[in-house]
Amino acid sequence: MRGQEMEHVLEAEGLGKRYGARWALRDCALRLPTGRIAALVGPNGSGKTTLLHLAVGLLRPDAGAVRVFGETPYENTTALADIGFVAQNTPVYRDFTADELVRMGGKVNRRWDATLARTRLAQAGIPPHTPAGKLSGGQRAQVALALALAKRPRLLLLDEPVASLDPLARREFLQSLMGSVAESGTTVLLSSHILADLERSCDFLVVLQAGQVHLTGAVEDIVAAHQQLVGPRHHGEPIDGVATVVRARHTDRQSTLVVRTDGPVTDPAWTVHELSLEDLILAYLAGSDTQSNHEAWGVAA
Amino acid sequence: MIWLTWRQHRKQALYTVIGLAVLAAFIVPTGVAMHRDFDRLVVKGCATSTPDNPCDTFHDFSTTYGSYIYFCVLLLVVPLLFGLFWGAPLIAREIEQGTHHMIWTQGISRRRWALTKVGLLGGAVTVLAVVYGLGIAWWFEPLGYLESRFDEIFFDVQGVAPVGYTLFAVAVGIAAGALVPKVVPAMAIVLPAFIAARIAVALYARPRFATPVTNDFPVIAGDADGGGGMQVGSWLLNSDIRRPDGTFVSSGAMVCPPADATECLGGLSADLRNRQVFQPADRFWTFQWIEAGIFTALAVLLVWLAIRRVRRII
Repeated sequence: MRGQEMEHVLEAEGLGKRYGARWALRDCALRLPTGRIAALVGPNGSGKTTLLHLAVGLLRPDAGAVRVFGETPYENTTALADIGFVAQNTPVYRDFTADELVRMGGKVNRRWDATLARTRLAQAGIPPHTPAGKLSGGQRAQVALALALAKRPRLLLLDEPVASLDPLARREFLQSLMGSVAESGTTVLLSSHILADLERSCDFLVVLQAGQVHLTGAVEDIVAAHQQLVGPRHHGEPIDGVATVVRARHTDRQSTLVVRTDGPVTDPAWTVHELSLEDLILAYLAGSDTQSNHEAWGVAA
Repeated sequence: MIWLTWRQHRKQALYTVIGLAVLAAFIVPTGVAMHRDFDRLVVKGCATSTPDNPCDTFHDFSTTYGSYIYFCVLLLVVPLLFGLFWGAPLIAREIEQGTHHMIWTQGISRRRWALTKVGLLGGAVTVLAVVYGLGIAWWFEPLGYLESRFDEIFFDVQGVAPVGYTLFAVAVGIAAGALVPKVVPAMAIVLPAFIAARIAVALYARPRFATPVTNDFPVIAGDADGGGGMQVGSWLLNSDIRRPDGTFVSSGAMVCPPADATECLGGLSADLRNRQVFQPADRFWTFQWIEAGIFTALAVLLVWLAIRRVRRII
C-alpha cells in the first residue's frame, strides 16, 4: 500500500528550525532512500544535531516539514517505534547496569528484542552487572547502540556516536554497526566529522554547512560527478563539461579546481584527477567564505 | 515505567526512609514518655484543676518536657528537604546528563513519562508526609498545653499542613528543574521560592482564613471569668488594653482580682478593658485543611506548568 512512499524513509521539505533569531537549519530538502547507510557531514554548529533531533521528534520544525515513513515524528510514538536513536555522547543512565538498561528498554517500548541486545552486548564483551558510568566510552557507545538496535528500528539515527572514541574503539563500533544493519536492512543516518571512517562505511552522503544542505546523493554518483582539474590560471570563464566550480585555488600561473561535471572534460589545457570522498567533502566545507569571522573580529581577511 | 521510576529513585527513597526512621527513633520514645507522664502528672495528678489553671505537677511536666517544643523549629525544614532532593533533580538531572534524549526517544511520549514520574513520586511523597504530619501531631498533643498547637511554627509542623508544604516544595523543585535544567541552580531556586511562599501565607493569609473572634473583658475580674473565655489551643492574634472609648493604652493583658485591685492596677484606671483578638481552638483543623489546600493547589499548578514546559525542552 505504501510501497511507493517507502522508497524514502526520511523526507524533509523546506525544513527549518530557529533558536531565537538564529536559524540552526534552514530550507533543508532531503530524501533518504531505503536501505542506505548515510553520512551526515558538516562542521560543528552546522545543524547536524538539529536535523537528527527533528527527525526523531525531539524538536518541532519552525518551517517546512520532516517525515519519517510518511509520518510527522514530533510527539508521535507510532513513528518513534520505528526509529532507533543514539544521541550525542551516547547518554545512558550511569547508575544502571547494562543488564538493567536492557530491562528498561523492554518496559518503555512496545517492540523490544532483549535477546538481540544481550547477544550484541555479549559479543562486544560488555560486563552485564557493571554500572554504565564505570564502562569505557567505547563500551558505553556499544551499550547505547545495542539499546537502539533492540527496538528493531527501520531507521537508525546516530549523532556523532564515535566522536569521543579512540581509533580502535571507533573501528570496532562502526564494524559492529555495519554488521548488524546489513542483516536487518535498516536505513542508517550517521552524523560525524571524522571523514575517513565514513568513506569506509557509508554509501550515501548529506553535507550540511551553516544550516543548509550543500550536497546530497549516493556516494558513488557524487564521486563520479566530481573531479579535480589542474590547469592554467582560471578567471571564471566556462569550461566544457563543468557544471559548477566547488572550490578554486590559484597561484600566479596555475589554478586547481574542484568541479562538479556534467560531461567529460575534454579541454587539453586541464589535467583531470580523481578525488577521494574526503577531499571532495573538504572542498565543499572549505568553499564557504570565512569573511564574516574576520569582520566579527575586526581584522583584515 | 513503574519499574524504571523505582529503579531510578530507589536510592533516594532509601535515604528518605532512613532519615524518617532516625526521626521516628526520637519521636516515638519521647512521645510515649510524654504521653505517659502527662497522663500521670496532669490528667491524674491534677484531677481537681483545669488546664487553664494548672496544678503543681503540671509544672513538673512542663519543666521536664518544655524544651522539646524547640525541636519543632528544626522540623520546619523537612518539607524543604523533599523539595531539594526529590523535586529539583527529577527533570533537571535527566537534562543535565543528556539522558532525556535517550528516554524520550524510546516508545513512550514525554507527557506520559512526566505524568508517570510525577504521579509516582508525588504519591510516595504524600504517603510519607501524611505519616510524618500525623506522627508529629500525636507527639505534640501533650505539649499543646504548654504552647498552643495553633501558634505559628507549631501549626506548621503537624497535621495535614506539612503534607501541603511537602507537595508544594517538590512541585517547586520540579518546575525549577524544568525551567533551569541543572540540578544545583534548580535547588537554589527552591530555597527562596519555598520560604517566600510559606512566609507570605503564614503571615498575611492565614490570620484571614476566618474572621477572628474578639473578646472584651474588664481588667478587674474574678477567677470565674478570668481570661475572658479564650480556650486553650486558640491562636491569639492580638492582645491589648484599651480605654472604654477604644483608645489604645498598652499591649498585653491584665487581670486583677477584685480583692486587691487598687494595688494591682498601680494607678491605672479601673474601667480599662482587655481586648483579645484570636482564632478559636476548634478552628484548628479547618485552618489545617485550608492551608494544605492552598499549597496543594499551588503544587498542582506548578506541576502542570512544568509538564507543559517539558514538551518544549530539547
